[in-house]
Amino acid sequence: MDFEFPEDIVKAREKAAEFARKEISSNKALMYDREEKFPEELKKKAFEYGIVDYTNPWSMLVTIEELCRADPGMGIAATVSLFGAEVIMLFGNDSQKTKYLGAVQNGEMMMGLAVTEPGGGSDVAGIKTTARKEGNRYIINGSKMFITNGTMADFFVMLVRTSNPEDGKRHHGLSTFIVPGNLPGFSRTKITGKLGVRATNTAELVLNNVEVPAENLIGEEGKGFYYIMTFFNISRAYVAAQAIGIAQGALDRVLGYLSELQSKGASSTITEEIQMTASDIATRIEASRLLTYKAASYLFQFRPNPTITSMSKAYAAETAVFATEKALEITGYSGINGDLERFFRDAKIMEIWEGTSEIEKLIIWRNLIKEAQGGN
Amino acid sequence: MSMEEQDILRSAVIEFAEKNIANSAVAIERTGITDDLAVSLAAQGFLGAALPTEVGGAGIDRQGYAVILKELASYSPSVSVLVLITGSIAGRLLEKKADSLLGRIATGEESFAVSLWPATDGSGSAGELKISGNKIRGTRRYVIGRPGGCLVAVTDDGKLVLVKSGFSLSDEDHHLSFRGLKYSVASIDSAHYEVISSNGAETMERILSGMDLEISAIALGIARGALAKTVDYTKVRKTFEKPLKDYSTVANNISRLMSELSVAEIALQGSGEMNETEMLMLKVHATDLAKRATKYSLQYHGGYGYIEDFGVEKFYRDAVGLTILLENQAADGMRLSKEVFGEKSGYL
Repeated sequence: MDFEFPEDIVKAREKAAEFARKEISSNKALMYDREEKFPEELKKKAFEYGIVDYTNPWSMLVTIEELCRADPGMGIAATVSLFGAEVIMLFGNDSQKTKYLGAVQNGEMMMGLAVTEPGGGSDVAGIKTTARKEGNRYIINGSKMFITNGTMADFFVMLVRTSNPEDGKRHHGLSTFIVPGNLPGFSRTKITGKLGVRATNTAELVLNNVEVPAENLIGEEGKGFYYIMTFFNISRAYVAAQAIGIAQGALDRVLGYLSELQSKGASSTITEEIQMTASDIATRIEASRLLTYKAASYLFQFRPNPTITSMSKAYAAETAVFATEKALEITGYSGINGDLERFFRDAKIMEIWEGTSEIEKLIIWRNLIKEAQGGN
Repeated sequence: MSMEEQDILRSAVIEFAEKNIANSAVAIERTGITDDLAVSLAAQGFLGAALPTEVGGAGIDRQGYAVILKELASYSPSVSVLVLITGSIAGRLLEKKADSLLGRIATGEESFAVSLWPATDGSGSAGELKISGNKIRGTRRYVIGRPGGCLVAVTDDGKLVLVKSGFSLSDEDHHLSFRGLKYSVASIDSAHYEVISSNGAETMERILSGMDLEISAIALGIARGALAKTVDYTKVRKTFEKPLKDYSTVANNISRLMSELSVAEIALQGSGEMNETEMLMLKVHATDLAKRATKYSLQYHGGYGYIEDFGVEKFYRDAVGLTILLENQAADGMRLSKEVFGEKSGYL
């Protein structure tokens, strides 16, 4: 067993860190946060620099870590323009892949995943948006909430209900469609006033008799829930990487602050309690990394392990919240007046999006008990 | 103040808050506490509640004052901290210097702002502020309170000064906590100032550490506000076709936090019998509870908790900010350890 990354992934991490040093500064991050503005230029440069490449998932994982370490809002914004692409990669047909994937992979287009609705976040099978088939098109009605890239995406992978399940199983009868954002009847409203990740674009979508050609159906009708759950298994590893980046960024700043205190001859103020807290943050980050890399290892070899993935996402998210809160406690006024207050606000979403920590723990439990009862 | 009197006062504060704050709590976070609200707080006697009657204050005791702070904080921690700044901080800083000024502050005629920075941080990032000849010149950051009146700050050489005119306040942006107070940068160039104390940092530290009960009240108000919203929300929000409150994790976590909160509130109500150590212990408990309660509150509101319209995220921010801006946790830890062990402890 070797815990070291191969050279190409090490280089990908270095390249991402170099890009972050060059393009992400505290002042820029503060500006995008304050103005709730998407860093379009940064996203463009990230593609030009060659660090956004989801066909190389290991490189992407460490890139996300490094960019979020510099600034979570900007880091996520720079790497999230392909959000949901895996659904098309895995389940779309050749025509859909040609038409949509190439353009998002080279940064010309942006996409989003539209699953969550105003009345339901965790309960994916409870969605109310419907698609009714009429001839060779589907008519979509409903609304989606908290959609990343919502007002900017050129198209969405959208989960809708196409039939009412006769067997009473709510996760049956759901389907996924590619829905362009400019269709008549499709309105999008940016959500402002978020606690954190304010450089990312989030919106509410309303669909009123939106007509989508039948060719935009991804895979088979009725299998959408399965496709989306498969996607979440992948995306949760990336969210774990975001969370690790946030926690590492917080630790970097704590160590910078404490080093400065030491150099000013104020070592006596760095009590044992502070030393141990910093050690706890570092230990949790390392544990999060090991879990996440293990989850990614299963995933990227096409044998996903949902238990490990959920463990990694939940644990890394909790680590981000823990690390940023403790970092603020240690750094006090200095932290509250610098990057750390933003990191603290950004961190909390990690425990909420892409499956709340509660949902992750329920997934872990279900798999554990299934295994204990002899399932596989 | 008796329990009955506290209950009457509590009802009055809640009635005021329902009328003047409940519907504008989000706007307060976005654009700051309005002059109208400050005038209403003064007219109701809350702004000068803790100031002595001789200067026009209400002369209320600390228990009554804690009731006001806690109930206001459950609607808007920013408003509660404004009352704290005006009542406790201004009152204690200016008690021997400017009775007429205090009177005007109590009635809302004069506003008061203070830079707390040097009291709890020695990083030197507060800006430069020096007395030279008959003038005081420089800047101070992290000024909180209302503009247009007087300013208290500590100079670079440690003097606590009251600047009565000749300064301007410009907004700093988007800070973590108590956004309704609109943090400012003070640019000072004035001959109209008064040295209150030659040992400003110590004076400020002493004032902060003398507000354990008041900080406890604000922390418990934050916890109460967040948990009340969470109880309401989890009753109506359904997931997997059941209300959130039907799930044992949600119900038990919220109920346990409510239990802790209720016990702390009972202690606060009986704080007239408390000594300084017990007040410190209550503060340590209350501030920790506020952080945990607001974290669960935001979590159980999901995505909606993450946006300001729901009024939950402010509690999450303010619970953490309270322990940094208005508390010196390291000093409190030492104070508590000294009381517990009977001698200096916990400094290594």
